[in-house]
Order: sequence, then structure tokens, then C-alpha cells
Amino acid sequence: MNIATRKQGTSTVVDVQGDIDLYNSPEVRKVVLDELKEKKVPRLIVNLSGVRYIDSSGVASLVEGLKVARTLTSRFILFGLSPAAREVLELSRLIKVFEVYLTEEEAVKAP
Amino acid sequence: MDNTIKLSFPSDPRYLGVIRGSIERFAALVGFDEEDCRWITLAVHEALTNVIRHAYHNKHDQPVEMRLRERDGGMEVTLVDHGTGVKPEQLAGRDLEDVRPGGLGLHMIREIMDETLYSPLEGRNELRMFKAKGSKTMAQENER
Repeated sequence: MNIATRKQGTSTVVDVQGDIDLYNSPEVRKVVLDELKEKKVPRLIVNLSGVRYIDSSGVASLVEGLKVARTLTSRFILFGLSPAAREVLELSRLIKVFEVYLTEEEAVKAP
Repeated sequence: MDNTIKLSFPSDPRYLGVIRGSIERFAALVGFDEEDCRWITLAVHEALTNVIRHAYHNKHDQPVEMRLRERDGGMEVTLVDHGTGVKPEQLAGRDLEDVRPGGLGLHMIREIMDETLYSPLEGRNELRMFKAKGSKTMAQENER
């Protein structure tokens, strides 16, 4: 798995490539929480278009990011969910708690 | 010899991707469609992460055995570990309305697989799961 961050206007985009599972979800969690808590970004967008697989530990990292963002009144947005990632979020009934968009453009422009 | 593949590996999360590949390909061989192969792989993966986290407390050098078997028009997966067992009644899924990290794996396994049987024995825990071809997950049923 590769993970990188970049600025996109006033948003920060976290690009994740590969599988998010028990082995590497701590890294996703660390990057997400660091951006929110330390860098205090107002809008964090997670790009999941390169994620082929995500397990419950990966979902838990995203849920933790969402909860921290809500506490800090930051936005926490997902986009580019693969069918596998969408299925996992639907199965865990968490798809409706996240702000999800199809494309980066929609995520960045979301009011 | 019956239609069983046995794999033994250490409880190291680094190998999970390799194990997932084996499960998915076995499911395809049995005749599940692409979507069901993904579901089965997810369920077994979640069971394996529970073994690593809860039975072996994140120790990465403990033995895990997985058996993949064709039976009764479906696929049976058995996981065996030698770590800390829990009482079957403690394996309760949590309320999903409570949005918080953790506790999702067991829910996923039960939603996906048709049968799960957990047997904690002295020094040996066994989890047997079965998925029949053509059966749907609860999420798929709800979409209908």
C-alpha cells in the first residue's frame, strides 16, 4: 500500500493505493489523524480510487477519522470507492454516515 | 482423499494478502461468481484478523491452519488456532447504529456466511464456516 497527501485548494487529499487491511490500516489511521489533529486541515478528502480491498480495520480507521473530524468541525470526505470498498461500507451499514462522492472534482467542490 | 486444501502459516498480517488470494481463487474454482468470491474472501479474512488480534493478541509468530473444502455444493472454510479462546456466547455482534471503530468483523462474517460454528477446545480453537452457492448475504437480500 502507498499513501500520500497533497493540497487541492483549501482541501487536503489523501491518496491511498493498494489494499487496506490489518497490516497497513495503522498507517492510514496515522496519516488521517495527523492531518486532522496536528495540521488541523479544514477539509480532508480520502481518495479510495486506488484501493482494491478494505477490511474492517480499514473501515475502523476511516470511522475514527470521521469522528475526530466531527469533533474538530472539519469535513471528512471519501471519493472513488471501488465496488469492493463500497460493498464493505454497505455491509457494515456505514456508507450513509460518510460523505461520499464519485470524483475528486465533486469532493473538492462539495458545498 | 477429499477435496480439501490445507494451508499453514504464521499469524503475521503481512501474509494476509497472500491468504486472501488463495481463498478467492478456491471460491472461483468451486463456482462462485466474482461478487460472492469477494464476499467469502472478506468473511474469511475477517475471521483471520480476529485470530491474530484476539486469539494471539497480535503476536506474529503463532501457527494458523486453514482448510478450504468443497462440500454440499458450496465451500467450507475451517480455521484452527492455538491461542486464547472465547466462550461462544461472547461472540455477539455489536449494534451497528452505534457509529464507532471496531467490532465490525464478526458482523461481516455472519452476514456473509450461511453457517458458522466456533468450537473452543482445550488449547485449540476451531471456526468452521460454510457458504452455499446461490445463497445471498443479508445485504443482498435487503436490496431485493
